[in-house]
Amino acid sequence: MTVQTVRDVEFGEDLPVFDPDTTLDNVIRFTEAAGWRGPRFTDHEAARKEGLPGALVPGIMSQGFLCAMIHRWAPPARIVEVDTIFRAPVIVDQAYHINGVVTDIDEDAGRVEVDLTVTNDKGETRVFGTAKVDLPTAGT
Amino acid sequence: MILDLHTHSIKSDDGRAKVENYCQWIRTRELPIDGFVLTEHRQFDLESDYSGLAGEFGLTILKGAEVETEYGHVLVFGVTEPLMQEFDFGNIHLPLARVIEACESHGAVPVPCHPGRKRVGMSAHLEEHGVPEGVRIVEIYNGGSRDNEDQVAQDMARDLGYLGIGGSDAHIVSHVGRCATRFPAPITSEQVLVEALNAGEFEAVTFREAG
Repeated sequence: MTVQTVRDVEFGEDLPVFDPDTTLDNVIRFTEAAGWRGPRFTDHEAARKEGLPGALVPGIMSQGFLCAMIHRWAPPARIVEVDTIFRAPVIVDQAYHINGVVTDIDEDAGRVEVDLTVTNDKGETRVFGTAKVDLPTAGT
Repeated sequence: MILDLHTHSIKSDDGRAKVENYCQWIRTRELPIDGFVLTEHRQFDLESDYSGLAGEFGLTILKGAEVETEYGHVLVFGVTEPLMQEFDFGNIHLPLARVIEACESHGAVPVPCHPGRKRVGMSAHLEEHGVPEGVRIVEIYNGGSRDNEDQVAQDMARDLGYLGIGGSDAHIVSHVGRCATRFPAPITSEQVLVEALNAGEFEAVTFREAG
């Protein structure tokens, strides 16, 4: 069930886990749309020549995944801010999982804060951050 | 008693967690910890008083610091105002020997944290700087560790005869309590924490596998 108003939200609630599509095809589509096409994002070998472990998922694409996850959970949400800290690169063609949990609720203002964590299959945190999200208050 | 000895709040430049939300989270999720120590980056938070939150949630909330040396980052427990006069907590190039000497003079305990991490961990600097004098305890479980960083820390601790603590290194609410330290007796203040650390009466624990 999706969230429609701030009253539908509970402190500590888990957002549905979101497994982003980090395949090379999808990243190429994104970089072309964003005007970010560059070998470090679209070519594993070229990225390795730059000393990277493989082609990178662009940071703004990772942030887009976070926003998509929030909107799947709460379609009417207005995302005020997504604040991310990149601890390790997110690599193209590797599996990642995005977890979100509600860590603060201001029912009067209709604002919710969500912790966001991008982990790999080993459970290691690659990216973490928080989002401030405005939701309709009850009765509006 | 189990305390998370390594957490950051919004007082740290990269911290995003409010202390009240840590408390709510620990109770809502029924985490198996009894409190936490706020170890803000490059500072000691003299102003904040968390005794009200501690009482409201039945948790122990203590304060320490995380400073930066040529051997990487170091937690400091038992910070006092006289200790703060001994070196600049905001200096990112502190000599570890100076930090250890000052801590010993003022009854504080320095603990190199995430020592298995590249660049900001102690093990990465042993070849260049040698084994430092005066280190007795290191963090062997860090909630933010990747790859084999904790294993490197544990191997170093074993080889050099260090005791080990655990801490989550939480910067966001939901990461608190991923790793912690178990003490046989209640820890009621920073002074009691220092005494327990000096006595070697503790054990690092991790809850990461439990999710």
